[in-house]
Amino acid sequence: MSLDPQHATADDVRERAAIDRSVRYPVLFFFTSAAAWLFVATLLGFLSAVKLRVPTLWEGCEFITYGRLFPVHMNALLYGWAMQAGLGVMLWLTARLTRSECRNPVTLIAAGNVWNIAVALGVVAVWFGAGRSLPWLDFPGWVAPLLGLSYVLIVVWLFPMFHRARAGEIFVSELFLLGAAVWFPWIYFSANLVIGKGGSATMGAGANAWYMSNLMYFWFAPVALAATYYLIPKIAGRPIHSYVLARIGFWVLAVCAGWTGFQRFAGGPFPAWMPAVGGAAAIFALLAVLVTGWNFRETIKGREKLWEYSPSLRFTMFGALMFVIFAALNAFSSYFGVSKILQFSHFVVGLDTLAVYGFFSMTIFGAIYYIVPRLTGTEWPSGSLIRSHFWLSAYGIATVVVTMLVGGIAQGGAIQQWNLGFGRSVEIGNPWIVGRIVAWLLIAFSNLGFFYQLALMFLGRGRASDGPTLIHKKPGEAASAEAAAGLEPEGAGV
Amino acid sequence: MSEKNLDYEAEGASVVKLHDSVRRERILPPSGREPLSFGPLILGAFVLLLGAGFLGAYGNGFKDDIFITSYYRPEPRPAGAGGDTAAAQLTYIDKVMKDGKRVYGNCVPCHQPTGLGNPGQFPPLKGSEWTAGGTHRFAAILLKGINGSLKVSGQTYTLPMPPWGTLSDQDLAAVITYVRHEFAGIEEPGIVTPEMVKAAREEFSGQAVPWTEAELLAIPKDEMLPGAQVDPVTGEPAGEKAEAPAQ
Ligand code: HEC
Repeated sequence: MSLDPQHATADDVRERAAIDRSVRYPVLFFFTSAAAWLFVATLLGFLSAVKLRVPTLWEGCEFITYGRLFPVHMNALLYGWAMQAGLGVMLWLTARLTRSECRNPVTLIAAGNVWNIAVALGVVAVWFGAGRSLPWLDFPGWVAPLLGLSYVLIVVWLFPMFHRARAGEIFVSELFLLGAAVWFPWIYFSANLVIGKGGSATMGAGANAWYMSNLMYFWFAPVALAATYYLIPKIAGRPIHSYVLARIGFWVLAVCAGWTGFQRFAGGPFPAWMPAVGGAAAIFALLAVLVTGWNFRETIKGREKLWEYSPSLRFTMFGALMFVIFAALNAFSSYFGVSKILQFSHFVVGLDTLAVYGFFSMTIFGAIYYIVPRLTGTEWPSGSLIRSHFWLSAYGIATVVVTMLVGGIAQGGAIQQWNLGFGRSVEIGNPWIVGRIVAWLLIAFSNLGFFYQLALMFLGRGRASDGPTLIHKKPGEAASAEAAAGLEPEGAGV
Repeated sequence: MSEKNLDYEAEGASVVKLHDSVRRERILPPSGREPLSFGPLILGAFVLLLGAGFLGAYGNGFKDDIFITSYYRPEPRPAGAGGDTAAAQLTYIDKVMKDGKRVYGNCVPCHQPTGLGNPGQFPPLKGSEWTAGGTHRFAAILLKGINGSLKVSGQTYTLPMPPWGTLSDQDLAAVITYVRHEFAGIEEPGIVTPEMVKAAREEFSGQAVPWTEAELLAIPKDEMLPGAQVDPVTGEPAGEKAEAPAQ
């Protein structure tokens, strides 16, 4: 094969090992505490869906009303799991890409603790009824400075690494990482400023929608794409198809994403051009997504078979696919004729779940499956657990997206009919919530295997290596299957 | 964390002792230099067109005083429905009909969801002279049931019809209204109220066993239950509203 990668030199390997060693404790800290939050969030996702379907269940206890459970679930998922795991991936990727060791693991762990404390305080406050009732920003106002501060304390340590980086071409993941690092404080601060201090409630709602959209496009997307841009060439052993396309993707995202958001309230009490700009930006952002997806596809072309074996590749490719679907649905639902039906329906929740779990979390799982063995020095104990993690999660996502889309159309269509009471539209939407219940159940099950394996790895009980843990076959068989297919499994050789 | 497997902890570890996952890893190849190809360009042009078209269609020239585009105006209502009152009117009837439909669930096993019954066993409610007649008879049938044979639309039925006196006044009123509207096609006079059913319940309280056909026929065919009609708009007694224009 002409494209066979050059193998690493002994110096390279030693350097890598030293880098991994330097970030080992903070990254593992982020991953394991994120996983703990994921556990909480999945359970609550299931519970809140059940409560939405059967509101009379355990009636009379305020702590298990939907109005409390759902925000707690969503915020635990976003800040406890997704962002925290994302921070771990960011840290490891930055260290690897800049080839610099992390000099202050203890500070990072301390800052990570502040982050966890902030999330825990916020979650408890929301649970006790002190939430702000602003989706994705439910934590009460006093949590925001704490969360923002700990973010800065974590991310600020990436900059010395970038500074120490050797001169040379900037890999595209570095762009995405730098972008994500600085964008979050900006959107978090601005949204909180408008909501806390500034204008009318209307502007608050607008700022909220803007924040949700931008947390997606300005943080989750770049972090996940940075990981995918790193992992695909590493695993496939092929260079990224086109550096130009990669950079176009980044800059289109950087230019467009900040304008999205207001389309969520199309028809609301804003001048009509504001949602129009939001919708147009969501469509333009589609360009970044399609170009990036195209680039991934061209990179992996001819080696798609690796998907059967490599856990990291499978999860990240699935995540990338979900990203394209998410962005397309997001753009499509910006059309006013469409959004008027879908904007206040179950569809919105389905779309959010697709973005946060289907795209971001799946990509991050892929990264975690890649990174953790390098930190602990052991291999994942079981390939089949990884496989069930993947499939159950994938089915869960498919279920939630399809039912919420169809249910959203049914429910939103009913809202449009003036002679049907609003109650009727709720009744029509109601059966579809079963999809959400099933989805979170599947996801919860899928994650059990993940938690179990991560705990084993963390406790030093991983499998001693005789080759990578592959999804499909036992390593020996896989290697021969691979050889038969003219491919190499992840990083064979050396 | 057990340090057992962390061979690379040792200072100056040789490559051989380094952990497998790090060792087998490939280098990150420098990114490819593929120039822009045809596919992404077409995609890009398409997306740009879409976005620009979107802005043109919905942007309203970036004027600050245009708020709601035509896409958000409520759907036009059918002519003659008469604006907001029509909506309220329908809403009230909808409510009663919805209630009635729920209660009719009791009748479905025999009279079927279609109201057509089951030939030879259960009589139809659709096209039956009993349901099309007055509400007095109807209430009597529901409160006490029927025994013996009954002639409905020219057919004779013999199975007994169970009494439904255990249902609340509200439920009975709703189901009578529902059956009359849905299966007998009667719109006027409007709605049977719980008060009417209550009065009928008292009137028939002396009746201990289900009716026979003869007893039912003794109730005048078109006699309505006494009691105030309600306004289908508000559910308030109708008299006040009907008189309002005259004042
Ligand atoms: C167990 C089966 C059964 C159920 C349940 C039942 N019916 Fe009947 N119904 C009958 C039978 C049988 C007759 C004919 C009586 C006879 O032949 O003596 C009948 C007769 C009638 C009649 C008069 C004849 C006609 O077809 O117009 C009306 C009105 C009626 N039922 C209404 C109802 C309503 C309203 C309900 C629900 C609250 C109901 N029934 C539930 C069996 C049933």
